[in-house]
Amino acid sequence: ACDDGEIVIKFSHVTNSDRHPKGIAATLLQERVNAEMDGTACMEVFPNSTLYNDDQVLEAMLQGDVQLAAPSLSKFEQFTKTFRLFDLPFMFKNIDAVDEFQNSETGQAMKESMTRRGLLGLQFWHNGMKQMSANKPLIEPSDANGLKFRVQNSDVLKAQMAALGGSPQPMAFSEVYGALQTGVVDGQENTWSNIYGQKFFEVQDGITETNHGIIDYLLVTNVDWWESLDADVRDQLATIMAEVTETRNAASFEVNQQNRQAIIDAGGTVRELTGEQRAKWVEVMKPVWEQFTDDVGQENIDAAQAINAKH
Amino acid sequence: MEVAILFAMVVGLMLIGVPIAVSLGFSSTIFLLVLSDTSLASIAQSFFQAMAGHYTLLAIPFFILASSFMSTGGVARRIIRFSIAIVGHFPGGLAIAGVFACMLFAALSGSSPATVVAIGSIVIAGMRQVGYSRDFAAGVIANAGTLGILIPPSIVMVVYASATDVSVGRMFLAGVIPGLMAGTMLMTTIYIIAKFRNLPKGEWLGWGEVFEAGADAGWGLFLIVIILGGIYGGIFTPTEAAAVAAVYAFFISCFVYRDMGPLARPDGERNLSLMRKPIALVTAFFHRDTRDTLFEAGKLTVTLMFIIANALILKHVLTDEQIPQSIAAAMLDAGLEWWAFLIIVNIILLIGGQFMEPSGLIVIVAPLVFPIAIELGIDPIHLGIIMVVNMEIGMITPPVGLNLFVTSGVAGMPMMRVVRAALPFLAVLFVFLILITYIPWLSTYLPTTFMGPEIITN
Amino acid sequence: MSGRYEPDSIIGRVVNEIEETAIAVLLGLMTLITFINVVLRYGFNTGLIWGLEATTFLFAWLVVFGVSYAVKVTANLGVDALINLFSPPVRRVLALLAAAICIAYAFLLFKGAWDYWANFANLPKTTGRWFPTGLEEMKRTSYRGWYEVIDIPMPEWLRWIEPLMNEGESYEKIPRFIPYFILPFGMALLLFRFVQAGLRIWRGDQASLIVSHEAEDAVEDVAHMNRGD
Ligand code: NA
Ligand code: NA
Repeated sequence: ACDDGEIVIKFSHVTNSDRHPKGIAATLLQERVNAEMDGTACMEVFPNSTLYNDDQVLEAMLQGDVQLAAPSLSKFEQFTKTFRLFDLPFMFKNIDAVDEFQNSETGQAMKESMTRRGLLGLQFWHNGMKQMSANKPLIEPSDANGLKFRVQNSDVLKAQMAALGGSPQPMAFSEVYGALQTGVVDGQENTWSNIYGQKFFEVQDGITETNHGIIDYLLVTNVDWWESLDADVRDQLATIMAEVTETRNAASFEVNQQNRQAIIDAGGTVRELTGEQRAKWVEVMKPVWEQFTDDVGQENIDAAQAINAKH
Repeated sequence: MEVAILFAMVVGLMLIGVPIAVSLGFSSTIFLLVLSDTSLASIAQSFFQAMAGHYTLLAIPFFILASSFMSTGGVARRIIRFSIAIVGHFPGGLAIAGVFACMLFAALSGSSPATVVAIGSIVIAGMRQVGYSRDFAAGVIANAGTLGILIPPSIVMVVYASATDVSVGRMFLAGVIPGLMAGTMLMTTIYIIAKFRNLPKGEWLGWGEVFEAGADAGWGLFLIVIILGGIYGGIFTPTEAAAVAAVYAFFISCFVYRDMGPLARPDGERNLSLMRKPIALVTAFFHRDTRDTLFEAGKLTVTLMFIIANALILKHVLTDEQIPQSIAAAMLDAGLEWWAFLIIVNIILLIGGQFMEPSGLIVIVAPLVFPIAIELGIDPIHLGIIMVVNMEIGMITPPVGLNLFVTSGVAGMPMMRVVRAALPFLAVLFVFLILITYIPWLSTYLPTTFMGPEIITN
Repeated sequence: MSGRYEPDSIIGRVVNEIEETAIAVLLGLMTLITFINVVLRYGFNTGLIWGLEATTFLFAWLVVFGVSYAVKVTANLGVDALINLFSPPVRRVLALLAAAICIAYAFLLFKGAWDYWANFANLPKTTGRWFPTGLEEMKRTSYRGWYEVIDIPMPEWLRWIEPLMNEGESYEKIPRFIPYFILPFGMALLLFRFVQAGLRIWRGDQASLIVSHEAEDAVEDVAHMNRGD
């Protein structure tokens, strides 16, 4: 527990605290703040949705009941539609391109795009590139035709599945494993670490290495609270956050590759696509961009594509 | 220390007649305002999100509704007739049939008191007519009725699954073997008592009656196939299964059994056929019986969810003060063995069951014991079944037991007489609890076979 | 049904009919939407994407609205083992104490509900931790009329609220202040019903705030079958 006089920083998130990329980063942040800022600030982490889920936590943050959260980027749709950029399929080739974009001027500006609605983005945290899985082999985009996919609650992702001829199904995360197993839904999309962590590969025919999108998180705070901190406290916190982010983001690619290998070791099937096959997926899914260009802003898409071209 | 005061306050308020829900919510609110910097707005948010943010708990109103249609629509009567046709001719036949009927009704209903009301009211009267003592009849039904939460579907299992993020489908499967086993143990006990005490037995009515009664009850019993088949056959999630069950039950009661709705006629008269009054297909949705059944189920949902929502506020206090972590650390540091831990869980639940409605108790206790159980290598599904069986026993032990109240009401006898009457069978359930606690296989075999080993993702 | 609440005035009957029908309709809608979504998905490979969210909101409406009704008809569960041991005068004092606690509870929750809802409707929260001491001064984060739900699309006939609530910007999904409105509304009703119940206990028209088990009505309905020896 925190001592009297310390600034209490509550950090609520939805994953475990020792295996998931986000959980590991949160735990590291907590350790460092509590060690280096002892007497000044004190961080309490609430993992596993024990305090709030991803939707409630942003409400609670605006109310001042929690100070830090790290929801996935698609959860910020209600705050600014520009974040739909990250959900658009095949926007980024790989996690390095994502990383470079997030650290570019455009990416950094996005962190501050929600201040008028009370949120301030502090750091982007990587999970990784999304893969697609189903209860039958997915080689060509037409293989996804007529399948029911569980997707995160995001208009872009729903449109993306519709573009494939699939039917998007919203579903509580805890029901997904059972639903995939019994066939209530046929497939899903996720990062290697989530697919391994949730054991989805056990109940799917195989995982197709599409790298078609990303799941990343935004470490976010209440802008009023952040500005109420003394400048030196704020600077120290920001420095620790930046360092933790650099360490964990650098490790994220490695973590996902390990999970990919772990899936294969556990008997799961991983299918790679040829350049030609991948091009077909791009061809089918990329038109989704047009539906959301107004929301995202053509200039942001251009900036992302300029960076993407370098990778 | 603070936690002890919190729990003392909750219990104290309950004992002076404050509703359970308010006792939980008021004590927790005071604690949050005093101890933490949580705002009242955040407490209101918790209250609202108890419903809006917990998809799993949605199954509760649907299962309650399905059970209401089944009770109103004459399913219980038909199940009892079928049970008598099958086992009525054994020594103690009608009592055994009562247990059997409770098991069948339990497979349609998610709650224990509902099972006692539906089956008990008819069977107890029937048993007395053929010469059983009122006490024996009440004792049998009070116990067998507890199977309502063990045999799937089960509201208590839904709440456990929601509180710990395990799969509802797994919990339901896990309850099948224990449910059949507990029912068989009760029936065997009655058979032995009947042999010694020479209790009345019925006539064997022949296979004709078995098939006819079976066919008549079959429409209702088909719900079991819908619920389990639908979930494991990949047609719907457990929550949706509950909604489908409710819609199916509505159609069966209005259009097949016609004991309610536009085709029903007063006692003694033949109910109308749909051919005679096809407009019923439309009017059934707006019929007074439909509205009343929806309303009764809604009211029950409200009182149950009021408790659960406030229990979730209490859980918010525990989380906020990091109580589960400190308890887990203390227990693990003490070098607790898994079997000793399970005894502690049993005792906590048996005591807690004296004051609390089972679902509310699970909401509070599950987060406290779950992390420890995982550390000690106890299967979460197994833990869930242990908790459910404890709830069952809590329902029939004095001073406070939901099934005791209901049985005393249904049987028209004082509580303490029901308590004494239930005692021999309670002993059976205690043996059963020990078996369930120390033979994990009984709970985990079916879910592991059909759904693979349990994964702990948190 | 025998255990049924019987209002004694015409207005009372009308209000009661409205309350009961609302409860029935909310539960009926939840069931239908969920059922239709199963049929659409399994039979037609499609679905109402907003169905799940709408159902959870209806569920919240059912309970938040229904609790005040449960107080009105004394349907809330409680433990009466101890109070039954006391003499009627002691019981009355305890019941009044219990009522006071319930009123305090409903009051705190009502303040919380207002504070939670107000900003979503661009209205000021109350200040004060326990008791409202005034209204907040609106700051940048106090205007949350823009905050939309996740899935339920904005119906055209509601567009007239956009200039009032969202600075003229159009809503893609319905704003949160609509589904959340039930909170202050339901909690105000709850407070009202607890005050009424307290007055009934004060006047001696009612003995306690609780029933001892969830099936009391149903039990009364069937108990006649086993009366007498
Ligand atoms: Na059941
Ligand atoms: Na008990």
